[in-house]
Amino acid sequence: MSVWTWLKFVTFLWLLRKAFKLARWLILAAAAVAAWPVTAVAGAGYAAAWLRGWPPVRLYRAAAWTLIVTAAWLAALETSDPGFLAAREPGRAWGVGWDQLTMAGLARTFALLAPVAMPAGLALAGLIWAWRIYAVTTGLGGITASAPITFDSRQWKRQVRTAKGLTGAPGAVPLLARGGTIPVGGTIRAVGHRWHPVLALPAASCARHMVIVGATGSGKTNLMIRLWAGWFTATTAAARAGRGDRPLLVVLDCKGGRDARRKAERTRRLLYGAGARRVAIWPDEARLCLWDLPPDELAVLLYQMIDSGTGAAAYYADVLQAVISLAVLAPCGPPLSTQAFLDRLNARWLADAWGDGRHLAEAEHARAAARHLPDIQLRYATLLRRLGPALDGPGTLAEADAWYCILEGTRERSVAEAQAMALTELTAHVATSLDGEPRAMLLAADDYSAVSARVPLSNLYERGRSLGIGIQVSAQSWQGLGATEDERYRIAATADGGVFVLNTPHPEPLAALAGKRRVLETAHRIIGGAWGDGGTTREQRAWTADPDLVRRLAIGQACYIHRGAATFVQVARPRPSPLSLLPPPAPPVAPVAPVPEPHTEPAAAPDPWPSPASLDDILGPEAPR
Amino acid sequence: MTTTPNPFQALGLPERPDLTDEQVHAAWRNIAAATHPDRPDGGDLARYTAASAAYAELRSPWGRSEAYADLASPASGEPDTSPIPVIPGGEPPPVPPWQPLLALTQIPARISSGRPLRLAIRSLIAAGLALIVLQLIPGTPAAPADIVGLILWFVLTGRKDLAPPPER
Repeated sequence: MSVWTWLKFVTFLWLLRKAFKLARWLILAAAAVAAWPVTAVAGAGYAAAWLRGWPPVRLYRAAAWTLIVTAAWLAALETSDPGFLAAREPGRAWGVGWDQLTMAGLARTFALLAPVAMPAGLALAGLIWAWRIYAVTTGLGGITASAPITFDSRQWKRQVRTAKGLTGAPGAVPLLARGGTIPVGGTIRAVGHRWHPVLALPAASCARHMVIVGATGSGKTNLMIRLWAGWFTATTAAARAGRGDRPLLVVLDCKGGRDARRKAERTRRLLYGAGARRVAIWPDEARLCLWDLPPDELAVLLYQMIDSGTGAAAYYADVLQAVISLAVLAPCGPPLSTQAFLDRLNARWLADAWGDGRHLAEAEHARAAARHLPDIQLRYATLLRRLGPALDGPGTLAEADAWYCILEGTRERSVAEAQAMALTELTAHVATSLDGEPRAMLLAADDYSAVSARVPLSNLYERGRSLGIGIQVSAQSWQGLGATEDERYRIAATADGGVFVLNTPHPEPLAALAGKRRVLETAHRIIGGAWGDGGTTREQRAWTADPDLVRRLAIGQACYIHRGAATFVQVARPRPSPLSLLPPPAPPVAPVAPVPEPHTEPAAAPDPWPSPASLDDILGPEAPR
Repeated sequence: MTTTPNPFQALGLPERPDLTDEQVHAAWRNIAAATHPDRPDGGDLARYTAASAAYAELRSPWGRSEAYADLASPASGEPDTSPIPVIPGGEPPPVPPWQPLLALTQIPARISSGRPLRLAIRSLIAAGLALIVLQLIPGTPAAPADIVGLILWFVLTGRKDLAPPPER
């Protein structure tokens, strides 16, 4: 074969390929023009999905809904012209339409064909959009090599915008959705999970163990309050319908401070809107009684509340435990108040209590411990005085629907740790108590790391699991979940209610819980600075919950990781239905007593006003006056 | 517990949630220095009080995000029901079997507490298109089907503009 013949042959093949390609496009174009009502709907659906960042399933569901229109059209057709002539009608309308190529004529044809064109067009749009996403993400489509990155970034922005618009609608994300699920917010993107416009969790997810990790200001509190209110609403609704017990929510705000009071007020307002009858804020407005605990549990708790140390101090710890047991388990019954307990840490009291002749061993122990008693009494007097009167009763957890407990973990860590222990024990007591009303319980610990030095979070988890209490724990970072890597993994991996990750600088360990997914990666051969025809596609692994995406989450955005899949969500600000809000309290109308004029001393000439730089010396270093 | 309608405005700061502690502190100090009541000229007590309250609200990142969310929230003017230590009355009554019918009576209140303007626009669009359909293809089987489609669109897209029912 000569060179000329070979060249002719190659050119012929090239022309043939191009001719086939052209013919294919022409056939497609002809079909699109011929079925123009379907093409118009498909184009509109594709454009809407592209602009709003919808997944293809959104278009498929819209197509399914429009089948109702088709059904109505078939019913109307059968009524007006019996005999199942529906198959002929679209063809007739389409044929007539070509004779009326005016705006009015086209509109008339479209209106006649809409019952068929709508579902077909939307389904077609879904298929084309799915193909487009597949082509771009695998590297088969796009003009430039950076097309997948640009496409993903653009779609993320549009998905966020759509989710924000949805969460802004008053009825889109209520506290409780149909089926008793708890809406969280507008779905931005679902990877592995089934896509729904609003991410809604089953109430049972909140009743198990859930972990929430997010830095300060990332929207963690909003998310937690929404979950509490949603769980409360769902459980209350179930109880009213006779399908469960009344809810009891116990929140431990372990950081305390001014923000905690604001959060407590907001939670209370929301829970009242959700149907709560009493929401108590501890220790500001309500008290609990530590001495209501069963004697054995009380003795263990009192022993644990004191930091007894290790090594050589273990001897002292044993003495301490023995003395506490003698004081609490005395034959006359357990102490009923702080003062009664402190009075028992006295050699004479213990000798009298156990000196009835029937408890010779205990009386001997009391005599042996006598020289340690003043020290022990001093330590407990100091601890219980620092704890304040809020654990000295009266009051029980069962008296309210929800408790918001504020622990000053930042200011007084040791006191807050002791309080956390006591409150956890009281919660466990309510869960195990046989004489009280059974309650569905959720124990939520916000920033638990502030008090977790002596009660590891994993203990709290295991306790909750054994008692059937839902545990929800939040931390500001992965490191805040536990003291060791082992403990952190134990907490995160056993969160069967799911893990919410908000903006946090080190999300990799949490993102790893979602695992990886299979993706396709296409490599193109480059010829002269442009893509050639050749290339290869191979299977790769990619993060299901991309840590870089998690790291870039804005305020109020979260990634929900559950069962090896992830959903990115724009959390909606929790708000009770305006119809359930009570009217504001009426202003007091009592007559105002006349206030006498204050007596003023003649003032000396004021000092020169300082500069703003030295204002802290006058107003204090932090708070305004 | 919001102290001013707009704490950002009280401190002369832009309404953004990503302000830093230093920015807020500096803004408060400038206003406090200019308006403190102990100044020789008597200061401006009202402005100083407003700025101090706003500073207390915005001094932490959480407070700023809350205040920002309060501003962004369309329902920020809703009646304040706190504090209510105990709501008098016994347990709420059980759900009656005719609850779905009662829900229909709540629709006017749900419309007025939701986004009535958007609902009105949606209904106008649906009604206008229905009229056009009736004008274009009167008496054909497709006309009632198209109107069913428009009603379906109105119901599916408009329900999110209603306020949630009281039990949700």
